[in-house]
Amino acid sequence: MKRLVVIGLDCLTPQWALESWLDDMPNLKALAARGVGARLHSTSPPITVPAWTAMLTSQDPGMLGVYGFRNRMSYEYDSLQVTNATAVKARTVWNHLSRNRLKSLLVGIPQTYPPKPLNGIMVSGFMTPSKDVTFTYPEGVRGVLDAAAGGEYVIDVKHFRTEDKAALLESVKKMTTARFRAFRALLRAEEFDFAMMVEMGPDRLQHGFWRFCDPTHRLYEPGNPFENVLHDYYVSLDEEIGKTGEAAGEGASVMVVSDHGAKAMEGAICINEWLQEQGYLKLKEQPEKRTRLTPNMIDWQNTRAWGEGGYYGRLFMNVEGREPQGAIPPGAYESMRREIQEGLESLGDEEGKPIGTRVFRPEDIYREVKNIAPDLIVYFGDLNWRSAGSVGIGANHLRENDTGPDDANHLPDGVFAWDPGGAAAASLRREERYRIYDVAPSILRFFGLDAPEDMIGQSII
Amino acid sequence: MAGQTPDMVTLKIPRPLYERVQQLIEGTGFRSVTEFATYVLRDLAAQPALEKRPARKKAPARMTAAELKAARQRLRELGYL
Repeated sequence: MKRLVVIGLDCLTPQWALESWLDDMPNLKALAARGVGARLHSTSPPITVPAWTAMLTSQDPGMLGVYGFRNRMSYEYDSLQVTNATAVKARTVWNHLSRNRLKSLLVGIPQTYPPKPLNGIMVSGFMTPSKDVTFTYPEGVRGVLDAAAGGEYVIDVKHFRTEDKAALLESVKKMTTARFRAFRALLRAEEFDFAMMVEMGPDRLQHGFWRFCDPTHRLYEPGNPFENVLHDYYVSLDEEIGKTGEAAGEGASVMVVSDHGAKAMEGAICINEWLQEQGYLKLKEQPEKRTRLTPNMIDWQNTRAWGEGGYYGRLFMNVEGREPQGAIPPGAYESMRREIQEGLESLGDEEGKPIGTRVFRPEDIYREVKNIAPDLIVYFGDLNWRSAGSVGIGANHLRENDTGPDDANHLPDGVFAWDPGGAAAASLRREERYRIYDVAPSILRFFGLDAPEDMIGQSII
Repeated sequence: MAGQTPDMVTLKIPRPLYERVQQLIEGTGFRSVTEFATYVLRDLAAQPALEKRPARKKAPARMTAAELKAARQRLRELGYL
């Protein structure tokens, strides 16, 4: 009986895991040596949601109709809604495995709340509102999780935006240990063919500690007390990878994968300040201090575009006949979209030096565009800068995040290490960089199943 | 399978599966594929109720307003928004 165990590490970044620190991570190094260790190119945008769902369905965000954590449900101005598992209409790897009577054991995969029935066990991911709701399938699993975790099973860290870095570090470590323990307890106790966990710790820690650990970050201070936090955490993750491989049992194949990586953040571009300066966005009143932009603050009749903050920027246009108070005649939509795209791409840093912003039209990067995509998707400074949505700043640039301290942005490459075992290891398609869409077809192939036609990736075995 | 009545509905399953189950239940006491399918589905659907811990609160199909607000706040804190 073939068994596969996937260890998902959100935001595990290749320049450290596969390069600088690989020698300090003997389990990952050995896994890569037995099979492959390579970069994994993520979705556009490279963000937890939709990246994990794209990985496990082999469909791009446009095909999924999920463009980020929040999606427009209609063309009303206040229709952005937090997505969850009910938005996933595509079949996941475990849906295909369940249909083929293969049992899955899933812990912490993003965008799986509320949990849906499957052949196996599911513990929902970090957007589970609390442990007071049904977040496992079957429901009874919830009752054994704390014991399995050897204490308290933690869905996600609380109070992330804190200056108390020591407390944040402790809470992330506790969460990581608990999730791995719970996963291993389930591996030992339950029958499974496919098992997968996703741990959010690397993402949380990198956003909180990057400046202390990356000598290229502009705020890095040599000899600071947190200098080795990320290195030591990566080493501890490697120990967990080793223990989990042992718990999986003799002959089980192990895959380590991340949805995207991380890199130093230079600063933030205030997308709505720029749109105001350029005359695309008009507020009813200019706030005196930094304020989160909400739809009721906007003079819609005189507004042609507005934006949202985040690790990348999303730009929405106010089109006649589409939005309630549309201000752009449909015939002028394309030319204005091009004009805004060019304006954003030519916006430099505070001194006007180019930063390499890239702007995408959804129909150019996705095979289909289901539901409502942003009109433009913006990588400020090729993701070296984030997007700040606040207004009342009085400048187009910020050297910090507008919603609290953050030192890192997302790198479009994650990590992929896998030893499929036996003959499959010898016939691996070897590349320096695989695509996130290749993961699901590879998992199905491992179990002898052909990828369905709606999967856009290629099996690497 | 039985036709539509106020208390019953028709389920469609692939014919080869139907025929396979027909063979499977020969001599088992199940008088029809319908009877067997009902037994299996009932057993599956009842599973959570058989487990030790009682249900505290059902998972809602959509999050409540308070949960959505908390989710937005959390995403903002985490830097996603």
